[in-house]
Amino acid sequence: MNLSYRIYYVFLRNLVSYKRFVVSTFLVSLVEPLFYLITFGIGMGAYMGMFGGKPYLYFLVPGVLVSSVMMSSSFECMYGTFVKLVHEKLYDSLIATPVSAEDAVAGDIAWASFRGLVSGVLMMIVAILMGILPVSILSVFLLFVLMIFVGVLFASLAMIVTSVAPSFDFFNYYTELIITPMLFFSGVFFPLDRFPSWMKTLSRFMPLTHAVNISRAVFSGEYDPSLVASFAVIIGLEAVAFYIAVTAMKKRLIK
Amino acid sequence: MGIIIAAEDLTKKYGEFTAVAGISFEIREGECFGFLGPNGAGKTTTVKMIHCVSPVTSGTLTVDGRPAHIDNRALKKITGIIPQEIALDPDLTVYENLIIFSKFFDIPRHEARRRIAELLKFVELEARRNSKIDALSTGMKRRLLVARALLNRPRLIVADEPTTGLDPQARHLIWQRLRELKNQGSTLILTTQYMEEAYQLCDRIVVMHQGKILKEGVPSRLVEAEIGREVVEIRIPREEDEAVIRQLSGFSCGHERVGDTLYFYCRDGHDMMKKLTELDVHDYLTRPASLEDVFLKLTGRSLIE
Repeated sequence: MNLSYRIYYVFLRNLVSYKRFVVSTFLVSLVEPLFYLITFGIGMGAYMGMFGGKPYLYFLVPGVLVSSVMMSSSFECMYGTFVKLVHEKLYDSLIATPVSAEDAVAGDIAWASFRGLVSGVLMMIVAILMGILPVSILSVFLLFVLMIFVGVLFASLAMIVTSVAPSFDFFNYYTELIITPMLFFSGVFFPLDRFPSWMKTLSRFMPLTHAVNISRAVFSGEYDPSLVASFAVIIGLEAVAFYIAVTAMKKRLIK
Repeated sequence: MGIIIAAEDLTKKYGEFTAVAGISFEIREGECFGFLGPNGAGKTTTVKMIHCVSPVTSGTLTVDGRPAHIDNRALKKITGIIPQEIALDPDLTVYENLIIFSKFFDIPRHEARRRIAELLKFVELEARRNSKIDALSTGMKRRLLVARALLNRPRLIVADEPTTGLDPQARHLIWQRLRELKNQGSTLILTTQYMEEAYQLCDRIVVMHQGKILKEGVPSRLVEAEIGREVVEIRIPREEDEAVIRQLSGFSCGHERVGDTLYFYCRDGHDMMKKLTELDVHDYLTRPASLEDVFLKLTGRSLIE
């Protein structure tokens, strides 16, 4: 893989263009998680009683945090990248400069994970304003780190989808068949303990499950040994997804 | 003058389809070299291999003494591309487009600012510095593409059909700028379907068709060798061809019937015109032979799709 520091230049290009969309994307990034927090957290939470001695929102927030990162970074690498690739032909201009195809793709993945981080941070601010606080400053810092990892993972997975997408419609398959189910079967909204065992097994194959596990543990400061495995899954899958994403996109770009 | 680009048996295949079929050519430093050909002749594919965005299937291609390769950043650094499609960044302003692009070439910021000011002047877009791309006319967009291609002070400039869709004023402005660049010592590679463009700019051209080079040479000499000096177009019914050809063959070096027109290629149309008046043929036209005649003679006058 022909990667270089020029990844940063691609990131920078996205940052400069972001100026024009910043208000609308902040709004979208805020409204969606707020919707979850209010409907599930306050509305449903009223019937849920205590979760491990704390209100339901303490259970919900860490999950929604990483799932909003997943959503933002996935969508950026699907719709955002597809527009740049097919409609604006930006990639063609990029690869005619010393920026390699790998740099260009990695730069967009980095950008998408940054967008994920922004969503996650906005979400955390909302949670803090609602009085739902991570256990310590260290937790906040670790959550940021986790969000970056989760962002790169889902950006890379989405990039693989984009590398074979013939049109926008194609993204519906990924969103409806992979992303949405993952949101509901990864323990974001309710614990997995009462699921039948086959569903528990299935959920273990979903990367979001592991991200939610870690997020919840970091948020509450209650760590347990299974987190090592969850972290390993995320890192391992991330490395593989990134490699496939860059290679597959290069194949699409260079003919 | 040294050789800056050398291709030997250069071939490009997309799966089963052969886009470039084993061509060889040399481009000298400082000249303007043109690739002419109809759609699908392999011009763009050839220049894509030259500026290292498309891998060579077989044969050799060296640029500035180094093999052309998609990962060859050193070659991309000395090359400026004026692309066929208007691939500007619509999310950025004119200035932002240029400043971001100069980053890709590692040009320091203060130097980039200086060059951008210079280049905006060069392409007459100073007043549009902060415009959005959507607000520009096609001519302005093409000029911005020229400016963008020059940010890295390229030794090699590749212009892939740089005036497609432009009105005559805008086209002439681009031509002038390209000639200026050549005079400053850059090597220019041009692909075009416009014969006048090739005539105006190119020192040497190759005519490509179906992935092969049909002819190579200096435009004016190619016209003279392939066609002659003048072309007489006669519009008569096909049945009269034989008689007219018999009468006129002494004056011409060749003839061709296409559709409703009989073409005669000749050194001097004067005698032929006299003869035509004698024969009482009045529906004819004499004009200087052009590169277009060469092009059509070589690639055929029928539609290519």
